[in-house]
Amino acid sequence: MSSARPATPASPKNYKVKPAQQGQPMYGCEHLQKLFNQDQGTTNTSIHHYKAILRTIYDQTPLISQTAKTIDNQVVTTLTPTYLCLQCPSTVTEDDRIKHGTKKSHRFYVDSRSASLYCQMCDDMVYDPTFEDLRLKKLGTSTFSNARKRKQDELFSPDPVKDSPSYISANTTVATCKASGLRGIYNAGATCYQNVVLQSFLHNPILRNYYLSDGHSQCDTPHCLSCAMDDMFQDFYAVENTNGYTAANILSGFWISERKAFENLVTTKEQDAHEFFQFLAEELHERNGDGKKPEIGSEHSCNCIVHQTFYGKLQTQTTCQNCQGVTNQVQSFLDLSLPLENLTQKKGGKKLLGGKGTMTLQECLDEEYVKLDKCEYRCNGCNSTQQARRQTSIKRLPNVLSIQLKRFEYKQGRHERAAKIDTPVQFPLQLNMLPYTTVGRAGDTKENYELARQCTYDLMSVVVHVGEIDTGHYVSYCRVGDQWFAFNDHKVEVAQKSDVLNAKAYLLFYIVRSLA
Amino acid sequence: MSSEAGDTGKAGIIAAPEDAVSMDKLAHSVLDDILYDLVHDMLIKVHRDEKLARANTAAIRVEQLALKSIDGLIPDQQRPDVEIETDAAVYKDGRVTLKINPLKSTKEILCPKCNLPRLLHPTDGKGAKKPDPSVIYCKRHPYIEKPGYDIYGQTWVAPGPGRGKKKKDMEKKDPNDPNSPVPGTEGSAKDRPPNVLSFPSATCSKCKRCILVTRLNNHMGSCIGNSGRNASRAAAQKISNSNGGSQNNDNTPPGSQKGTPLPGSRAASPKKRDMEDADDDAEESDASKPKKKIKLATNSLNKKVTLKAANSTKKDKAKGSSMLNVEQKVDDDDGKNSTVQVAPKKTNPKGPSPTKNKIKVAKPSQPSPAGKAKVKARDRDLESESSGALSSPPR
Repeated sequence: MSSARPATPASPKNYKVKPAQQGQPMYGCEHLQKLFNQDQGTTNTSIHHYKAILRTIYDQTPLISQTAKTIDNQVVTTLTPTYLCLQCPSTVTEDDRIKHGTKKSHRFYVDSRSASLYCQMCDDMVYDPTFEDLRLKKLGTSTFSNARKRKQDELFSPDPVKDSPSYISANTTVATCKASGLRGIYNAGATCYQNVVLQSFLHNPILRNYYLSDGHSQCDTPHCLSCAMDDMFQDFYAVENTNGYTAANILSGFWISERKAFENLVTTKEQDAHEFFQFLAEELHERNGDGKKPEIGSEHSCNCIVHQTFYGKLQTQTTCQNCQGVTNQVQSFLDLSLPLENLTQKKGGKKLLGGKGTMTLQECLDEEYVKLDKCEYRCNGCNSTQQARRQTSIKRLPNVLSIQLKRFEYKQGRHERAAKIDTPVQFPLQLNMLPYTTVGRAGDTKENYELARQCTYDLMSVVVHVGEIDTGHYVSYCRVGDQWFAFNDHKVEVAQKSDVLNAKAYLLFYIVRSLA
Repeated sequence: MSSEAGDTGKAGIIAAPEDAVSMDKLAHSVLDDILYDLVHDMLIKVHRDEKLARANTAAIRVEQLALKSIDGLIPDQQRPDVEIETDAAVYKDGRVTLKINPLKSTKEILCPKCNLPRLLHPTDGKGAKKPDPSVIYCKRHPYIEKPGYDIYGQTWVAPGPGRGKKKKDMEKKDPNDPNSPVPGTEGSAKDRPPNVLSFPSATCSKCKRCILVTRLNNHMGSCIGNSGRNASRAAAQKISNSNGGSQNNDNTPPGSQKGTPLPGSRAASPKKRDMEDADDDAEESDASKPKKKIKLATNSLNKKVTLKAANSTKKDKAKGSSMLNVEQKVDDDDGKNSTVQVAPKKTNPKGPSPTKNKIKVAKPSQPSPAGKAKVKARDRDLESESSGALSSPPR
């Protein structure tokens, strides 16, 4: 795969070491400094080799990077890290590093698991700015070039004026070190369903960057919810206040909003967080987008921040059982709603046979986006109503994948009432969505590591409903860097991963790992 | 190597019994290798964070020295043309290079933004250490893990009297009471320990009045949304008015509906209002000062939030006073506050006894040298998010 890459710069190009930055040493260690200061040729080969190693590690089957040749020419494949020599194409095991070093006087190796550089003279991992830049680029965008790809273009449309460092320094203020974006939001009286959704927006890096980089500006709309969001982001990320936040503007924008579909939401009573999420997304789309109403179900898409963040596309393929004719229908979606009830019942059956009582998020996704179901539809080919097979898959994954686990089911029948399903659903910190995509289902993608990486999502926030359906309370967990925090209205506490993963999630927000 | 080793993998922790069959040994060795990988990944991650922070600290320090050496001579120069050397790094030609492994040479971590030393241990709760009072630390502190307190070591006074709770009850439970130097004034903002916050008020965007935050939604319901009980009264009044003056006084005693304030004015009964006013939180402003800005309220609160390191010794634990935390049960007789969470298991069993055992931390009041910190919020965010992986995968 790497050889087929046409954009790989040919050898005549001279690589440059990353220029000196303030507050950062120029090289990872004094030995790398020597290496880079030998001559241009050495610098070229070192950087070129490092890039090749990164491609081997990230784009190819791990079998290659995990296979080493020992000093007596024995080939060993191991589960534990191997070391890829930076100065020649050999891969060695940890024990053979020194032998290889004395024999060839090669002193730098790349760890096959983390792609970090090991310096034999330091006898330590070294993190060189030049190499780290390459590594992060490979991991984040799977390309080394600065030519941005489509997804990024939409997100961070480059503006030559506004992106220049001088413009930025002249027009921005440096936020205080104390402002970390971690604040609670006061409960204004049964508004915890709003707070949890607001927190998940606040800790969404895409939305944060949009608002902090003045994405929503020059707005004259009175009581604009997007302006209220803008204020809130400022208060969270730029102000030295650790007290809770009073979301008065959001609340009044919410009350004033004339969104008919959400009229029943606007009460002083406890409401559904998922409905509020939909409301907020549509309202923000209205304020930032193309002005068209986002019809759920149609293929409508616009370039507003909400669409770029949350919206993906679903494809429903219907195959007529009579004429085998296929129709495809594409819809955009804001979130994936996964029913729990059917699966709970099925599982309940299994439980009796000795199965486990819990289910996983992947099982729920399988049920909706892998399995076929039967339906009746009017086939155009046969010109009559026919039995058909229907299969839904994800055509385009969003940058932030929101998943609702339908814990509140409306029981039909004489005693109409809503009931809460309390079944625990296990969800992963890292989610691979490839099996549920149209691409992933169509072809053999097992060997495509780059595609798999593009479909890898990291858990970003979790909204949990505790208690009964009428008297419950919402709390949420959000991740900042690698640390999880628990948000309970105005109270913010440190949370452990186990707290998060053991929660009975209602809404899950996953963010894509790589913007390829 | 691992597969050759046979009985165990690289970590050497999970070993198969000696008489195990070969498949058994293989399974053990695979599990052992995976354990090794997990530890390896975790270690690399922590190592990277720490080593980069120390390397940058070495660079910041030598740059500071370089700037000092040309102190005032050449203004506005970011990269002075001098040569400076420390134990850890060399500054030459505007570049910093390391001399030795920064993990050996550099012991503390300077904040890359404000260049002040980072506090490495929380000041309270789990893993707390006393900070050096003579050092001015970066304002970003490690988060506090302490039951009953939030990550900044803050706690909240219970929502004030007026909602079915009598003020007397509140005072009785006030942990300030026994130790309070000036009895009788507890509850007021001055006497509260600075890490105990009260609920703020906010301005309603329509009627511009100041409403206690916990009642904001209800207020907006009646003020903007027309769904409060004023709405039904207003409707009732409308109907009775439209029925003509003759019927007006027939069924309703005067002063009941007539005396109802117009929509947009205060919904609570006068009695309630008195009680609220007794609560010192300035939740309500009269018509005379209608435009009390919320900013003011929050700013003044902000000033109070200085860090206190309460010694969490066993003495403290023994002193079981029941601090009124927010988490404690809030009366919701009226059914409107039904979402205020009740988490009895979390209620703080040990009173913080705030007046004793407190050590003042060096006040983080020193303004950061904003002129020096060059990394702008936006700049940094975009860079890290676009070139790095968006959701910060294992680095």
